[in-house]
Amino acid sequence: MALLSLKNISVAYGKNVVLKNLNLDVEKGELVSLLGPSGCGKTTTLRLIGGFVEAKNGRFVFNGKDYTKIPVHKRNFGFVFQNYALFPHLTVFDNVAFGLKQRNIPKNEIKKRVMEILETVGLKDYADRSPRELSGGQKQRVALARALVIQPDLLLLDEPLSNLDAKLRVKMRLEIRKIQQEYNITAIYVTHDQEECFSISDRVAVMNNGVIEQLDTPQKIYNLPRTEFVANFVGFENFIELELEAKERGGGGFYKLKNGQRFKVTHFNGREYERYVKGAIRPEEIDILNEGGGKETNTLKGIIGISTFLGKHYQYVVETEVGRLLVNGSAHKRYEKGERVTLYFPEDKIVLV
Amino acid sequence: MKKNVYVYLLLLPGLIILLLFLAAPLFSTVFRTFQGNEGLTLAKYIAFFKDSYNRGVYIRTLKLALLTTLIAVILGFPTSYYISRLSRRARGLYIIFAVFPLLTSPVVRSFSWMVILGKNGILNSILLKLNLIEEPLRLLYNEFSIVIGLVYLFLPLMIMSLVGVMENIDEDLIEAAESLGATRREVFIRVIFPLSIPGLIVGSVLVFTGSITAYTTPQLLGGSNTTVLATLIYQNAMSLFDWDTASVVATIMILTTVFVTFLINKLSSRLNA
Repeated sequence: MALLSLKNISVAYGKNVVLKNLNLDVEKGELVSLLGPSGCGKTTTLRLIGGFVEAKNGRFVFNGKDYTKIPVHKRNFGFVFQNYALFPHLTVFDNVAFGLKQRNIPKNEIKKRVMEILETVGLKDYADRSPRELSGGQKQRVALARALVIQPDLLLLDEPLSNLDAKLRVKMRLEIRKIQQEYNITAIYVTHDQEECFSISDRVAVMNNGVIEQLDTPQKIYNLPRTEFVANFVGFENFIELELEAKERGGGGFYKLKNGQRFKVTHFNGREYERYVKGAIRPEEIDILNEGGGKETNTLKGIIGISTFLGKHYQYVVETEVGRLLVNGSAHKRYEKGERVTLYFPEDKIVLV
Repeated sequence: MKKNVYVYLLLLPGLIILLLFLAAPLFSTVFRTFQGNEGLTLAKYIAFFKDSYNRGVYIRTLKLALLTTLIAVILGFPTSYYISRLSRRARGLYIIFAVFPLLTSPVVRSFSWMVILGKNGILNSILLKLNLIEEPLRLLYNEFSIVIGLVYLFLPLMIMSLVGVMENIDEDLIEAAESLGATRREVFIRVIFPLSIPGLIVGSVLVFTGSITAYTTPQLLGGSNTTVLATLIYQNAMSLFDWDTASVVATIMILTTVFVTFLINKLSSRLNA
């Protein structure tokens, strides 16, 4: 059984529904990320688990017990806030010791455990400093230490790295992952940064409009998105409307485009066959050929529109009979505006959504 | 270098006004209290405190000011905390309500308390109607009415000082403390109270200095046996034309205020540690 499960959770602020019948299961020792654009409900989900937000409907079960109505201070969850939320009137040591003092642990035991965790996060020599004297990265470490030292049953992280600069973010996310695995602690991590999310998560829940669109491993989310929203979110810029013509054994099949052209699709993300679907493809997976090149199937004729140089390659807007498409081409050759080309869509690079 | 000189020039107008109208009179007031026939002496102070009436006035003033401060803290703290957690708009509205009494003169406000607390006043008539008392209570012209008047007068200052500090306490800090196992009460003791201490200091100093120097309220709401330092100065200066004693009282008032302010600061920083 899952360690944590949200069952049909709904949350609304007044008439504004933030979460709609949300379901989520998290296993022990897992790091699950909630990923999505702002306003998708990811932070609300995290705050609900933390106990700061009340559910209108549904149940939150943790370790077999109903936690829906358990107040925050009795949950024993570590929470790491986006702006660190360190107590400004306390030293680093006392910040970390806060939760232990609350638990009436003997003084020497507190000292031992605080110094231990400060060593883990590399801040042993900063125990007597005030939070004011710390850099952003150091504050983040203190916040992490403070949440970990109480030996929480669950670690909740709310965009913990979004206030750090890019290089430090990469370093800190590796550290968070390392510590999470070392302590074998179950964690839920909220972020809007895809790379950060993919790099540290066991599983990712992509959220949109108060629902989880897909819960999968980072690899599956990236390569085999199941919905148009997820596909778009992970960089599938082109969506082509398809109509099923013939199924193939072992998945995939032949599809007809709006203009009558045929596409073969073999890469199948385990969906049921549907008559009308969309084929999603990344700009970098489409090949640009000279006009008339390629085979009969899986090609489209187009006219080059605006082009932009992206360093590794050129990106073109190509007008076709089924609409505007974004296509990346080699940096060695630049197609001119108005040039007629043929686009080739590899059958194993199209994902049906 | 030259630029610096010009910057200091900007201080000059303010400095002149302060020296001329504050420092100089203050010095001359304080100086004359130490002047004796043979150089400097504490004789006037010794004489002042030898008089049991004066001692009584001094202790009463101190007691009333401390009591007023204490009550203002007790009333102001929860109110301020409540206001500080409201939305920005509601906060502004509540602050205006809190400050509203400050917009009328202390004289008018003292009179309104007379109407409420008088022998045939609102409070007494209500209590009589409810048969809670047999005859009207003596609520006016005593220390009780002075404290009520002073608290009413200075509570807004306490609330404003506290709200100013409390509204900067991040909601995240409260949530962080809760997530670490603190109940609402413990959050208050371990996070909100220590972080509010700067506001508490400012508020207490304002209320205390205001109360100890208040003249109108004790004069109007107090009686003949509730003389305080400010009314004593008035009596000495205007009725007895004893400017020396008036100056002595004024100096004692200043020194007491400075000393108590210092004590409040010391106490607060110890609480903070």
